[in-house]
Amino acid sequence: MPAECAIEVKDLSFGYSDVLLMDRVSFCVNRGDFAAVIGSNGTGKSTLIKLLLGLLIPANGEIFLMGEALSSFHRFPKIGYVPQNSGSSAGTFPATAEEIVLSSLYSQIGFLKIPGRQHKKIVLDALNRVGMQPYAHSLISELSGGQQQRVMLARVLVNDPEILLLDEPTVGIDVGAVASLMEILHRLNIDRKVTILMVTHDLSHVAQYLNRVLCLSDRNFAEDTIPQELIVHAHAASHELPHGHVHCAACEEPHDAQQCAVCSHAHEGGEQHD
Amino acid sequence: MIDILQYGFMQRAFLVGILLAVIIPCIGVIVVFKRLSLIGDALSHTSLAGVAIGLILGINPIIGAMAACLFAAFGIEAIRKKIPRYSELSIAIVLSVGVGLAGVLSGFVKNAATFNSFLFGSIVAISDFETGLVVGISVLVLLSFIFLYKELFYIAFDEQAAALSGVPVRLVNTIFTILTAITVSVASRTVGALIVSSLMVVPVATAMVMAKSYKQTVIWSILCAVTATLIGLFTSYYAQLKPGGTIVLTAVALFLLALLVKRLRQILRAVRMKGAANEPT
Repeated sequence: MPAECAIEVKDLSFGYSDVLLMDRVSFCVNRGDFAAVIGSNGTGKSTLIKLLLGLLIPANGEIFLMGEALSSFHRFPKIGYVPQNSGSSAGTFPATAEEIVLSSLYSQIGFLKIPGRQHKKIVLDALNRVGMQPYAHSLISELSGGQQQRVMLARVLVNDPEILLLDEPTVGIDVGAVASLMEILHRLNIDRKVTILMVTHDLSHVAQYLNRVLCLSDRNFAEDTIPQELIVHAHAASHELPHGHVHCAACEEPHDAQQCAVCSHAHEGGEQHD
Repeated sequence: MIDILQYGFMQRAFLVGILLAVIIPCIGVIVVFKRLSLIGDALSHTSLAGVAIGLILGINPIIGAMAACLFAAFGIEAIRKKIPRYSELSIAIVLSVGVGLAGVLSGFVKNAATFNSFLFGSIVAISDFETGLVVGISVLVLLSFIFLYKELFYIAFDEQAAALSGVPVRLVNTIFTILTAITVSVASRTVGALIVSSLMVVPVATAMVMAKSYKQTVIWSILCAVTATLIGLFTSYYAQLKPGGTIVLTAVALFLLALLVKRLRQILRAVRMKGAANEPT
């Protein structure tokens, strides 16, 4: 079982100062999955990602990345993490796309070593894969939200990640940019077999690429169903996906449509705000 | 121009001034991008407390300043970790301790003139020992900055990602803190405690107006600081002004000039575009 799971979580509990945010959450994201985490605000979607990276320490439970316990896991460059608003949080930092992507090559260059020509080539290749090579020498602050997000993606791609963890990658960018970002992620998922776990509010624009939706609601992480029309979308795309069908079962409790409705309502509410 | 350089004290002033103008912006770039622009203020004010202790105990005041700066720098880091969301508070607290201590201790210093020389510096009256110290520290800071270039950039840009990538963040931060502290303490003797923090930040601000990359920002910062130092030293010599203050005012003038040039360029570009739009096709 662990060999099949890219990300496996067992009985995970976490809380901030006595308030329990997650209560015995268990799930497995298979290798090659393109999964989304949905749920209303405050249900701990971003917290979950930080727990997976070891940036937060769980109160209880176990996490395995590519079959290895998180406590002994050291290959973090192979886990590409793109935080929320990572592009815009760069703000007015006077760095070019190339400089930012090059910094991520640290694990390949080494401590105190100076990057060589071969490293610059890897950087340009990564920028090319996200269609940003023409902007290699542009300041990050001069790029649009969608372009910044693609640079942030190139930043993790230089290390050939096996898992991508994306926190709300579609927030603050226009519909066209969302589509091209999702297309890039889709290609990574299909061509390079990268496992992707993505926190999102924006299910309607991304559902067609997913083969799995994890629904987080009210402390319990229920791997659950998604609104009917989205399942159809997901099915339509799923014939291309290595893992076939939409995975929306596995909650230990009986399948509960009402609990899914909590997520879908939250999702619809979020959309209206936008 | 030649006669100014025939004096040994002026040669030394130029050597020390240029070296500091190279290393202070190197520290300054990282400090500014870590959003800790006022750290130079806190450290230099604390260095005054160290100077006072040195003078009272009869040891070299620069050594006292260095010890005080190191204490202050690690104090800031420690408080910053306790209240990460309000990291600037840590600077304010250490600044208060530094100013308070310097104020109280200065009352016990017998030779007030020596103490005052640390406020605005005395770049034209530095000893051989101090010159040697500046040269040694400059080499150390420059080499560290070159070899830690990508690590410092990564930490300043995104400390969390740097840690995940395996950058020894704590070690690099510790080295940087030590470099900052020794740079500030040795610079407070030469350009003055009240001025060193300006030299740390103003050239970086000027560079940010013009630069098109991080690398350019570093290069422009150094060029601005060196230019300000050279103009400042010449002007102060011929116009009989205090060198420290003249250098900083020149640096601020360069900043304003950079802003003005940028604005003029924008206006020119707008006029040109308007002209092109109005041209009959």
